[in-house]
Amino acid sequence: MNAVNFASVNRKTILYSIIILIFAVFSVRLFQMQIINHEAYDEKSAGNSIKPIEQIPLRGVFYDRNMNVLVDNIPAYTLRITPADYDTSLNKVLDKVLGVNSGYVASILKRNQIYSKYIPIRIRRGIDFSVVSWLEENSEFLPGVDYIVEMQRGYPYGVMGSHLFGYTKEISSQQLEKEKDYYRPGDYVGHNGIEKQYEKDLRGEKGFHYVLVDSRRREIGRYKDGANDKESIKGRDLVLSIDGDVQKVAEEELRGKRGAVVAIEPSTGEILALVSAPEYDLNQFSYITSKDFLQELYSDPDKPLFNRATMSLKPPGSTFKVLAAIAALDLGLIDVNTTIYCGGGFTFGRFFKCHGSHGSVNVVHAIEKSCNTFFYNLIYKIGLEKWKEYAAKFGFNQKTGIDIGEEAAGFIPDESYYKKLYGDNWPRSIMASLGIGQGEVSVTPLQLAKYVALIANDGKSFAPHIVKGYLDNKTGEIVPFRFDEINLKIKKEVFDIVKQGMFLVVQGSGTATHLRNPDYHISGKTGTAQNPHGKDHAFFIGFAPSENPKIAVAVVVENVGFGGTHAAPIAKKMMDAYLLKDKLKNQKQKVEQPVIAGAQIED
Amino acid sequence: MRIDYKISDKFDFKIFIPVLILNIIGLAAIYSATLNNPQAAGNFEKQLLFTVLGYIGFFITYALPTNTIKFISIPTYLLSLLFLVVVLVIGKKVSGAKSWLGLGSFGFQPSEFAKIGTILLLANFLTRLNNNIDSFKDILIALAIGFVPIGLILLEPDMGTSIIFFSFILIVLFWKGISLLGLFVVLSPGFVAVASLFGSIPFIASLIIVLVVLFFFKRDLFFNGSVFAINLAAGFFTDNLYNALSPHQQARIKSFIDPMSDPLGSGYNSIQAMVAIGSGGIFGKGYLQGNQTQLQYIPEQWTDFIYCAIGEEFGFIGAMLVLSLFLIIFLRLLNIASSTKDEFLSLVIIGIFGVYFTHFLINVGMVIGILPIIGVPLPFVSYGGSSFLLNMFMLGIVLNIYRTRKNYA
Repeated sequence: MNAVNFASVNRKTILYSIIILIFAVFSVRLFQMQIINHEAYDEKSAGNSIKPIEQIPLRGVFYDRNMNVLVDNIPAYTLRITPADYDTSLNKVLDKVLGVNSGYVASILKRNQIYSKYIPIRIRRGIDFSVVSWLEENSEFLPGVDYIVEMQRGYPYGVMGSHLFGYTKEISSQQLEKEKDYYRPGDYVGHNGIEKQYEKDLRGEKGFHYVLVDSRRREIGRYKDGANDKESIKGRDLVLSIDGDVQKVAEEELRGKRGAVVAIEPSTGEILALVSAPEYDLNQFSYITSKDFLQELYSDPDKPLFNRATMSLKPPGSTFKVLAAIAALDLGLIDVNTTIYCGGGFTFGRFFKCHGSHGSVNVVHAIEKSCNTFFYNLIYKIGLEKWKEYAAKFGFNQKTGIDIGEEAAGFIPDESYYKKLYGDNWPRSIMASLGIGQGEVSVTPLQLAKYVALIANDGKSFAPHIVKGYLDNKTGEIVPFRFDEINLKIKKEVFDIVKQGMFLVVQGSGTATHLRNPDYHISGKTGTAQNPHGKDHAFFIGFAPSENPKIAVAVVVENVGFGGTHAAPIAKKMMDAYLLKDKLKNQKQKVEQPVIAGAQIED
Repeated sequence: MRIDYKISDKFDFKIFIPVLILNIIGLAAIYSATLNNPQAAGNFEKQLLFTVLGYIGFFITYALPTNTIKFISIPTYLLSLLFLVVVLVIGKKVSGAKSWLGLGSFGFQPSEFAKIGTILLLANFLTRLNNNIDSFKDILIALAIGFVPIGLILLEPDMGTSIIFFSFILIVLFWKGISLLGLFVVLSPGFVAVASLFGSIPFIASLIIVLVVLFFFKRDLFFNGSVFAINLAAGFFTDNLYNALSPHQQARIKSFIDPMSDPLGSGYNSIQAMVAIGSGGIFGKGYLQGNQTQLQYIPEQWTDFIYCAIGEEFGFIGAMLVLSLFLIIFLRLLNIASSTKDEFLSLVIIGIFGVYFTHFLINVGMVIGILPIIGVPLPFVSYGGSSFLLNMFMLGIVLNIYRTRKNYA
């Protein structure tokens, strides 16, 4: 027991010190973690286990002016895969069950590899109910495969409205970058048409449910029993000025053709129908858009994606004669008694042909007969600058500001344009064609519709628009959107005179007498625009009833020939659908049961 | 008064009461940590049973004649070696290590049993030496007693337990009175081994430091050469050992060297453990209210990470209470060891102190993020039958020695 160092006081002190030192270090560390940095850890801990789950609101639906539902939401099944639990050997089976090309599932999984493998990936939307029941039956052999019910757009009224409504599709990464405070990857966002223009009204407000998740991100329950949850708010239901029946008739009439029609209520500027043909099936966009479908649309020589109603530019032909008449009358250059002699043409440097010898005609009969000679003369009386000024008053050479995005401004030439082209001594003979709506003038069908609506309503209206307002969620009342008022400040007598001519086009011995009918009077003006590439483009502008216009229509059909033959009857059908709604309904009900097109909910 | 005096004279409440409190806190924490985990269903009930068995074992050990402790030292050691060999042959693999012997529905860890065997034989051997252990030979024998079980445990492989063995053996040698040089000889291979993990430049640097220190002690060339050779070997051995480790153990070491290298992988446990404790705040989130604990963010939190549950649900107050209880136990053990005049018994107590202390140090150090993640339980608190039974058995020995301490005065 003479161990010098055994259990010496010295060694005991060293161990003592080590214990105290470690106790001190640990205490300081705990103090630092639990008191000083407490908040940072607390935040991490909360973020760990509370997961907000987005509640996607229902998108607002579209009503037509008679409160028929044109666009709504219908439930659809979406197949999802959670990669963490999924066995890729199932790829082939799923490809087969979904009826897609082999490798489809694998390619989508690959594309989504960058995201967490615990987040389910949407594989396919709008899967058949038979696939859903197959999933249910075999769920135990399909780890990581499930389906959810999601809403997609449905078109219950049987109106296609491809260029009108637009569609929704998964947000692009560029748009996501710009609006990342609202959208998340995979969100659907309005694309084209009303869906795009009124996206902020339609999308509603996202809600959030807070759930507790464990370390594997599995949901365990609601956080605080949902006390902090925020419910989503449904998007605004829009009331369109569209009349479903008129729109439907227009679509049917333009099927198989290329062209566009726009119908407007003259007193309000509300668009009753807007069709660009050919159309495409919006239902195809409700699902994950197949590349083939888009490719098909892009490569179609008829350009179905192109909105002819607002974008196609053509010389308006004889429909433009009314403009010259209005300008001349309003400027006092002529009055209703002023006659011009038509001997079958007009000479100014060269000979300009008329399609007949009309003799002495005043402005009313010149419109009725569509006499070229009268208007060849008139344009020189008016002068290019004044003529352009009147065209501009009616909204040509500029965008109408319609609430569905893309549109073209068109073109109305003036002196400086020709000076630039030909120099100061530009051939004045060019002006002759402009008087009859040929030559360098180009307009859109929408501009023509606005023009005829303004004529019908004596120069007063509102900017053409498609959406009247939205429905207030609480009161159910329409909250109207505001649109610019238009007042051309042109004397009413001027309109009376030109309208008399337009009346005679149909009711007299004009170019569209076949539109005459016992129910109401139609006024109008046909047009045929020369087309160097093929058959002429057919134009018709008109309104009805003549005495108290309720509907104004512009029709353009490409490459078919004479306007009175090919365009005017379409306008008549649309006017029938609008003005004789009840009468037609009764007739129809006697013949057939109404067909509800579009997807239906089976419940 | 007389009776009271007598009881506290024969029974050290200053250790027993803190252990009892730790035990109760532990049971509460295990209940909380296993509440929502189907994988751990029934663990609380099992631990209750172990607790009862542990206290029975404790009182039996307490009542045994103190001489028995010395008699059983050699057989206990040999038996534990036997178990350690058996477990390598027929052991059950649990989380990558063959460390369990199945006994019916209960498992048993031979490495726990080997702790007391090693302490007893080491104390026995050191007591036979008349003098300080300064001779190279004595140190080697002492190390051999320790290194045989360490080697076997490393084969399982169980890194954590090996480190515990190494540490408490060191404490026993220190208590015996190993010289600075001796301490250096024992420690330097460990130092070089750790340095080698960081790469070849730290490895070479550590060898240079060893050479400089050896020069300072001015021993003969043979001694210096041998020590240097051992260090060199330790470095290369570590390298080989590292390569032999299972990937998850390698990842743990890597994540210690650079904790943020893999925050979702092996760094995950460490981060989640710290988040649990840090988010507890001063008073904790309340019993059964800790989201980290209740939502199972920390795998197997009822064993090695039980301190997280305490820190999260009972906060700084609870965490400091546990620290303080351990502080009382450690200081008390040190006092008993130094007041025990019998060298063998004193060494046994210091060995037991070493086991408790190193477990505490590594366990708490790892969950509060200042030591790497090495899986060892927290004495008296963590879930686990073998370790609890052994800890209570060792406590029985300590109080047994305390009971008869005056016989050796």
